[in-house]
Amino acid sequence: MLERPTALAGQPDTFEPTTYRDPDLVAGLKDRIAEVARQIGRPVKLMHICGTHEHEIGRFALRDLLPESVTVLAGPGCPVCVCDNEYINMAIRLSLEPDVILASFGDMLAVPGSIPLEGERRGDVRMSLLDARARGGDVRAVYSVFDAAHLAEQNPDKQVVFFSVGFETTVVAVAAMLKRGAPDNLSVIEANYYTPPASKLLPTLEGFDIEGFILPGHAVTITGLRVYEPLAEQGLACAAGGFEPVDVMASVVSLLEQIRDQRFAVENPYKRLVKYDGNEKAKRETDEVFELSPIRWRGIGEIPASGYKLRPEYQRYSAARRFAGRLDPIDLQGAEHPKGCRCAEVTLGQIRPDDCGVFGKLCTPDSPYGPCMVSHEGTCRAWYVYGMHKERLHVEPA
Amino acid sequence: MSNPPDAQAAGGRSKATSRYATVRLAHGSGGRLSLELIEELFVATFGNEPLRELSDAAVVANPGGRLAFCTDSHTVTPTFFPGGDIGRLAVAGTVNDLAVMGAKPMYLTAAFLLEEGYDMDELERVVRSMKATADEAGVAIVAGDTKVLERGKGDGLFVNTAGVGFLPDERRMGMDLVQPGDQVLVNGTLGDHGIAVMSRREGLDLAVELTSDVAPLNGLIERVLEVAPNVRFMRDVTRGGLAAVANEVVLRRPFGLRVYDVAVPVHDLVEQYSEMLGIDPLLAANEGKVMMIVPPDETEAALGAMKAHPLGREAAVIGDIVKKPEGVALVETAYGSRRVLEMPIEEQLPRIC
Repeated sequence: MLERPTALAGQPDTFEPTTYRDPDLVAGLKDRIAEVARQIGRPVKLMHICGTHEHEIGRFALRDLLPESVTVLAGPGCPVCVCDNEYINMAIRLSLEPDVILASFGDMLAVPGSIPLEGERRGDVRMSLLDARARGGDVRAVYSVFDAAHLAEQNPDKQVVFFSVGFETTVVAVAAMLKRGAPDNLSVIEANYYTPPASKLLPTLEGFDIEGFILPGHAVTITGLRVYEPLAEQGLACAAGGFEPVDVMASVVSLLEQIRDQRFAVENPYKRLVKYDGNEKAKRETDEVFELSPIRWRGIGEIPASGYKLRPEYQRYSAARRFAGRLDPIDLQGAEHPKGCRCAEVTLGQIRPDDCGVFGKLCTPDSPYGPCMVSHEGTCRAWYVYGMHKERLHVEPA
Repeated sequence: MSNPPDAQAAGGRSKATSRYATVRLAHGSGGRLSLELIEELFVATFGNEPLRELSDAAVVANPGGRLAFCTDSHTVTPTFFPGGDIGRLAVAGTVNDLAVMGAKPMYLTAAFLLEEGYDMDELERVVRSMKATADEAGVAIVAGDTKVLERGKGDGLFVNTAGVGFLPDERRMGMDLVQPGDQVLVNGTLGDHGIAVMSRREGLDLAVELTSDVAPLNGLIERVLEVAPNVRFMRDVTRGGLAAVANEVVLRRPFGLRVYDVAVPVHDLVEQYSEMLGIDPLLAANEGKVMMIVPPDETEAALGAMKAHPLGREAAVIGDIVKKPEGVALVETAYGSRRVLEMPIEEQLPRIC
């Protein structure tokens, strides 16, 4: 395992956030990256698999700090973007039931499923939860499952359905709550995704030329790093990535050094939060409530053992089961993405957002076509908002 | 009316509120209760000659020259927030819209849309706050209107204010005067109002309370214009934050606006809470901030005048106008890297992670 990032060597371990934004430390890491890239002497492609990474890379314009030969791509790291239509459609249908309050994270509200939006003039537009709300559905934005449980307690004559979308991090809170007892009128739409199987799938795709992964700092805080060892065994560099500029740059240094030395491991430059074996208590509680099952990833297809489904003793909280009689299974499925939308390829890191013909034209954050333009975690949205398609903005002063 | 009672001066409640604890439909009907509310709350509190006439329109003196004229409607949840309330917001907002045009704000109107059942004490607090803010800004509220909406058909209280200001003939400001090399100034920390209101709305318990910056800026702006008469352009930074104003300046123009991230004043608490809420302080709302674009040779004087004013102590030069890229507002980070400062897209919503 790698020691603390080069630029932090000799510095005290600290939780002081400003340290991880320090311009001198970032400048040191920038030089280090340039040096190792020169030693490698050929182009290298790296990938992160967390939407927050793309967001922070955009916010601090970190790609500007990398040499031409080092490319960092965004992979499948946006839970909102990979959430299958089936669950979005289920949430929309349930929100329109008169006795239901649908509670969802704010990110999810504007994501179109595959139910056509009747009477829309902009073209092939699909319905989102916001459209459902405009049609009388009771849709509420919440921060967590605990807010949803609170809503259920306050509205005993209603059914509160929590749209539980997310990765390894959000499922923990759901497990913790269900284990401790939830209101009877609360149920969850099971759309929690487990990412390691998806990252293992990537190297099997045609044309795959990524040499290293920046691992998602939030998720590996829970799962730990051991689950990524198979990637390192295949000759892929891996490093846990935090989200501050120093963290991101340090993880790039770690990956480049592994590639230079052709010595692959799962390294941990994000030690202040990530333990190699993760959070044992969180894993145990999640495992008591959920089991891993096959689940469909939007635009990718079904991946075995990559979805969290409620274990039999907790299935009384499953919205799919509770409302089975009211939901038409055929109605819940449909075309993956609207015509012309290339979210699937963007999500897999196969194309850049601006390679898509509708990016920035038909598809903008104001009138999104696909999920990658909707969510704050979405690659297309981050590129649009931070202008990442306008690479290395050239400034000419007066 | 002959003898307007001043409820506050008399130390008691006005007659209107002593008779009714809440607003009734009849308070907006044009009948006796309407008149009582107008005379005993609005006229008594706002107290000025044109208003006391209770005619169909206020008649005011006209000094000649140009007039600036604007209107703004206000709704805010919660009505009372740390550092202000809807009344202060409504008066300061309209005063600031006039002042950033270079006008001297003079007269305001106030229209109230009240929901049946609205608490009369709350209304009185709002009206008193409007009066205090008008006094602070040196303007008079000379005309008004009251409508009462049936319960369930309004969200408590909406306030509209319109305003008139005198615009001296020699004042010339406009976006078309902006040139590369001009400097970008703000009069203090950004995002205070947006984060203060949002933290209250989201029920966050803050150990130290953040307060809104809501304030009338005409005094500060007048001081700046005295020493920097060639200020090219100014706009109050409100909803959409600095990002919105910066983009309005560069839209379809042959220049860009560069903001230096490290130069932007942001209150420590705003920094912390905006990180937590996932909101960029550059996109968060303000109610007492102005962005000025100033020629280089007047920048020092303008900054000095701002800093000498109580509402500008943390003023700063935060960026400049650049030849290229054209039509783009951008942020230069502490690392020398650059990103686009995009127009705000929507109401900020809670995120997954």
